[in-house]
Amino acid sequence: MAVAARLKLRRWHWIAAGLIVVVVVMLLLRATSAPDKPLLPAGALRVGVDPSNPPFAFFEDDQIRGLEIDLANALGDALDAPVQLVPLGFDGLYDALKVEAVDIVIAAITADPLRTADVDYSLPYYDDGLVLVSPADHPIAAMDALAGLSLAYAFGSEADSEAHRWLRRIQPFTTQPYETPQIALDAARLGAADAALVGATDARLYARAHDDWPNVRQAVMHTPFVIATSARHGRLAAAINEGLQQMQNDGTLDLLIARWLGGA
Amino acid sequence: MIASLARAAWMVAGHWRWFVRVGVAVALLQLIAPAPPRAVLEPPQTVQTQDAQLCVHTRLMEEVDEWKIQRTLQIVREMGAPTIVEFFPWAYIEPGEDDYHWAAVDRIVRHAQNQGIRIIARLGLVPAWARPNEDERPTTLNELPVESFPDFAEFVARFAERYAGQIDHLIIWNEPNLSFEWGYRPVDPAAYIDLLRVVYEAAHRANPGVTILSAPLAPTLEPAGSPNGMSDLLYFEAMYEAGLADVSDAIAIHPYGFTSPPEAAPGFDALNFRRAELLHDIMLRYGDADKPVYITETGWNDHPRWASAVTPSLRIAYTLDALDYTQREWPWLQSLCLWVMRFPAPTNSYPDGFTLVTPDFQPKPIYDAVQAYARGWSPGGALWLSPPG
Repeated sequence: MAVAARLKLRRWHWIAAGLIVVVVVMLLLRATSAPDKPLLPAGALRVGVDPSNPPFAFFEDDQIRGLEIDLANALGDALDAPVQLVPLGFDGLYDALKVEAVDIVIAAITADPLRTADVDYSLPYYDDGLVLVSPADHPIAAMDALAGLSLAYAFGSEADSEAHRWLRRIQPFTTQPYETPQIALDAARLGAADAALVGATDARLYARAHDDWPNVRQAVMHTPFVIATSARHGRLAAAINEGLQQMQNDGTLDLLIARWLGGA
Repeated sequence: MIASLARAAWMVAGHWRWFVRVGVAVALLQLIAPAPPRAVLEPPQTVQTQDAQLCVHTRLMEEVDEWKIQRTLQIVREMGAPTIVEFFPWAYIEPGEDDYHWAAVDRIVRHAQNQGIRIIARLGLVPAWARPNEDERPTTLNELPVESFPDFAEFVARFAERYAGQIDHLIIWNEPNLSFEWGYRPVDPAAYIDLLRVVYEAAHRANPGVTILSAPLAPTLEPAGSPNGMSDLLYFEAMYEAGLADVSDAIAIHPYGFTSPPEAAPGFDALNFRRAELLHDIMLRYGDADKPVYITETGWNDHPRWASAVTPSLRIAYTLDALDYTQREWPWLQSLCLWVMRFPAPTNSYPDGFTLVTPDFQPKPIYDAVQAYARGWSPGGALWLSPPG
C-alpha cells in the first residue's frame, strides 16, 4: 500500500476512535443529567431554613426572621417568585432537599465535600471564619504579629485551637482564655489583652453593641456560608448563583449583612 | 465503518504497554507516599471510673484513619466512660443485597475491646437496593418500605450473630417520631412496632443473649398530625398501644436538657431533662416499668449563639448535676450517654457545641469536668480567666 494511502487510512482510524470517545461521553452525560423540569416546581421558591440560629434565622412573634430570611426574600425577588419558608432542624436539612420538599437550603451551612454528588453549593454569601480583633489605635494586622503580645479567646472554641496552632509557628505570645467570645472581646476592648480571636459574627455583633470602640478586624480563617440546591437541578443552582452575584455587585448583600450584623 | 472501528479498537489495545507503564508508575508513587500513622493495639486496657453508668456517643464509622478511631476510644476510656453508643449504618455494611462489608465494624470492635469499652450499637440507614426505586421518586436513607422489613431484620440478625458476646445491645432505628427520620413520610408508631417485631424475633434467633432497645424518640412538642413529627410522649404511648412491651428488652430515650437545669420540673409542654420521667410514667401505666432504660443521647450545647444553648460553665454544671440526679433519683436507668464525644470534621455550626472534644482531639472544658467527675479527681483549677474590668 502506498504511504499516502496508509496515512489516509490511519487518519480514518483516529477519526473513528474520536467518534467513539464523543459518543461515549455524550451517553454518560445523558445518563447523569435529569430531564428538564421547571425551575421552581411548586411555583414558589421553597427555602429550607433552621430558625434556631439567630441572627441568621429565628422565631420572633411567631414569625421567622433573620439575615437568611431577608436573603431568601431577595433571591425570590431576583427569581420573580414568591418565597415559602420551610422550617427544619439542622439534621433534616439535606433530606428535605433530597426529597424535593424544598428547592434550596439557606441555614448557615458550609460546603460538605462528602455531599457534592447530591448537592450543589452556591457562591458564599457570608464568611463566619475567625477574625483577629484589635483596637484601632494599636492594630495587629496578622497572627504572626502577635509574638510577645497577648491574645484573648473563648476556651475550647475553634479560636482556642487556632491560637495553639500559631503558638507552634511563631515566637510565644500570652494566651488568655475566657468563658465566651464576648468576654474575650471585652478583654481586647478594655486593654486586658492586645487582641481577641473570635468568630466573625461574634465580632460584628460585639462591634455593633460597642460602636464607641474603634477596632480593626482581620480575617484569620474562612468559613463561607453557602446555599445548597439539589445536584439534580443544575438550572436552579445557576439561577441562585446569578442572583447572589447580582446582589454582591449591587451592594444588596452587604446591606443585608450590615442590617443584621453591623458593618464590616 | 465497522472495519475502521475494529482497527481503532485494535490501535488502542496496541498501546497496552503504556497502561502497564502508568500502572507501574502509580504503584511506585504509592510506595514513596508517607504511610498513615499506625494503630497498633495496646496491651488490653480497662476503664477506671466511679460512674459505671457513664457513656458517650461516638461517631467512628465515618472515620477513615484507624488511628483516629483508636485515639477517640482512648480518650473515652481516659474520661472514665465504660460504654459507647455507635451508629452502624446498614447502607455502609450491606451496600448490595447479601454483599456484606464488616471490616469497618470489626476494627471499631477490635479497638473498643482493646480499651475495655462496651459498645451499644444503633442500627439503621437503608441501602439503595432496599429503598423504593429512585427513578420513580427521590427517597432518603431513612425510608424503609414495609416490604423491606425482612431485609433489615436479616441484616440485624447477621449483625447480632457476628458480634454475639461483643455487641449485645442493639438500638433499632432512631427518632422515628420525626418525619425526616422516617424517610420524610408521616410518622407511624404502629408501623415502627411492626418493624421492631420482625427485627426482635430475627435478632433473638441469631443471638439469644441480645438486648433489643426500642428506638429513642426525639424530644419534641409537635402535635399529632404535624407534617414534621409527633410529640415523643404521644408517640411513645402509641408504641405501647401497638405492643412495644412484647417486642423490646429495653427502652432507649433522648432527654436533652436544652436551656433548663436537669432538676427543672417536667411537663407535657416542656422540653427538658426530666421529660424522661414522663416517658417512664407511660412505661409504668403499661405495666412495663421494670424494663431497663438507657439514655442513649443527652447533653447540653454551649454554642455561643444557638437558641437552645447555654454557656460553657452552665453546660458543665448541668451535665454534672444530671449525672448526680440520675444516680440519686432514677434506679431504672442503666446508662447515660452524652452526645457527642467528637465529630470527624467540624459542622461549622451549632452542632459542634455538643462535642466534648474537637475534631483535632483538643478536649473542651466539659470533657475535663466529666473526666474529673467520673475518675473521682478533684476538679482542676479555673479553666478560664475572670472577666476583665
